[in-house]
Amino acid sequence: MEIAEKEIILKAQKGDQVAFEQLIYNYDKAVLSIAMKFVRDSDDAKDVYQEVFIRVYRSLKNFEFRSEFSTWIFRITTNVCLTYKSRKKEQFMVPLQEEFEEDNFQIRKFELISDEKSPEEECLSKDLQNFIGNAVVSLSERQRITFVLKHYEGYKIREIAEMLNCKEGTVKKYLFDAIKNLRKKLKPLEVYQT
Amino acid sequence: MSHNEFKQLIQLSLYGELSEEKQKKLISHLQNCEECRMELEQQKNIMKLITDHKNLEVDEDLLKEARLQLRRALRQERNEEVSFSSFKNYILQFFSTPPRLALGAISILIIGLAVGSIFLGRERLIIKEHQPGFTNASLMQNDLRVSNLQFIDSDPSDGEIEFTFNAEKQIHYKGSVNDPNVQNFLTYAMLNDQNPGSRLNSINVIDSYKSVSLDKEIKNALITVVMTDKNPGVRREALKLLNRSSFDGSTKQAYLFVLLHDSSSALRIEALNSLIEANKSGHSLDRNDLDLIIKQANQDDNNYIKLKSKTLLEEYN
Repeated sequence: MEIAEKEIILKAQKGDQVAFEQLIYNYDKAVLSIAMKFVRDSDDAKDVYQEVFIRVYRSLKNFEFRSEFSTWIFRITTNVCLTYKSRKKEQFMVPLQEEFEEDNFQIRKFELISDEKSPEEECLSKDLQNFIGNAVVSLSERQRITFVLKHYEGYKIREIAEMLNCKEGTVKKYLFDAIKNLRKKLKPLEVYQT
Repeated sequence: MSHNEFKQLIQLSLYGELSEEKQKKLISHLQNCEECRMELEQQKNIMKLITDHKNLEVDEDLLKEARLQLRRALRQERNEEVSFSSFKNYILQFFSTPPRLALGAISILIIGLAVGSIFLGRERLIIKEHQPGFTNASLMQNDLRVSNLQFIDSDPSDGEIEFTFNAEKQIHYKGSVNDPNVQNFLTYAMLNDQNPGSRLNSINVIDSYKSVSLDKEIKNALITVVMTDKNPGVRREALKLLNRSSFDGSTKQAYLFVLLHDSSSALRIEALNSLIEANKSGHSLDRNDLDLIIKQANQDDNNYIKLKSKTLLEEYN
């Protein structure tokens, strides 16, 4: 941990609000990014973000420098993500499966060859994003957070293990299972994988 | 090593998590294994597809919104801490400041003990034959109230009788309303009397004597009643009387506390009106207070409070 950061933490622990905000702003974009990819909704992501930093605010005085501050914050982030219940649960329940059945896809595949995207193609791209989003959201919480941290955020397996407070082997297991499940769910999209 | 194990190595390799030794082993295997080469291609494609369609980057606007939302939540968090600590301070102050209130309580206790020692007190006393200090004369006093008579031994065969009763003496006190003892007693009663009617009367009596100045002890007692009394009628009378006192930080906290936490909408309205009046008299509210009022304006189910809060807030915009 950098000396400067340690000083800021100590100040924030004594109730210095400016130091606290400074501390937050070093990490908040990363936290929001994880939240966004985990819940896949901007309102829910803001809720997760807020909950993370309220917890940080409440428990900062208990931080004893036994781990990196970043690890501590991301551990809180993963905990909040794992227990977060979306206010809009229904959002991901829209059945898109039918739209991505192979027969329907054959035509669209050719439509995508053109460089410029027509409104229909834009729409299809959105649908694809939603479909992939649904697949990610359908993973178990631990598989999902592991996949988000590894695939989207690029953290090392060792770092993820620290955040989730488990062994590296366990992280690998979540990751393998996540990818295996995603491949099953994204099978209708194989036509795109060329 | 099985194909399945190599498939896992492929995944780790794509994420750059493979040691040099295992990477070499994988490359060597891929050169000779068509199935695993296909697996590598499929994994690459699916990973690329997921990455290309994530569309979940955090933009600056979203970050700004999140920060704004968080600032509000933190302010509220701090205010709640302050409200709680103020409330705690009031309570501590009430119980820890020695001056008049405590003296009043002690003097009442002493009177009680004195009465008890003379007239058997409020405690249950078992009277036995030949008990020293207890005479027929003391039992016959007119102002001694006897209640809860219970017989322990009423068997007529041996001619003896044993019973218990509660005896208490009514204290009559007369003095000026500005007499500190009178004020101490009324303050003590508004806080401690078991009967809500008596608590209410204590407050009303102070209110009806306009010459009584609401000093710090009475004001603190009123704030405690406003924030803690179980009876809404008592809280309301205390709040009305509190309006007579000068507006300061402690009264403001009490009004905000009532506005945010009281279950009675009549009391919340009373508190809000007091804040509005204070504002008109030049006691402006700070940002934190306004945030609390905004919160209440948004969540209160009473339309009058919503409307009045918004009107008050408009003055600050």
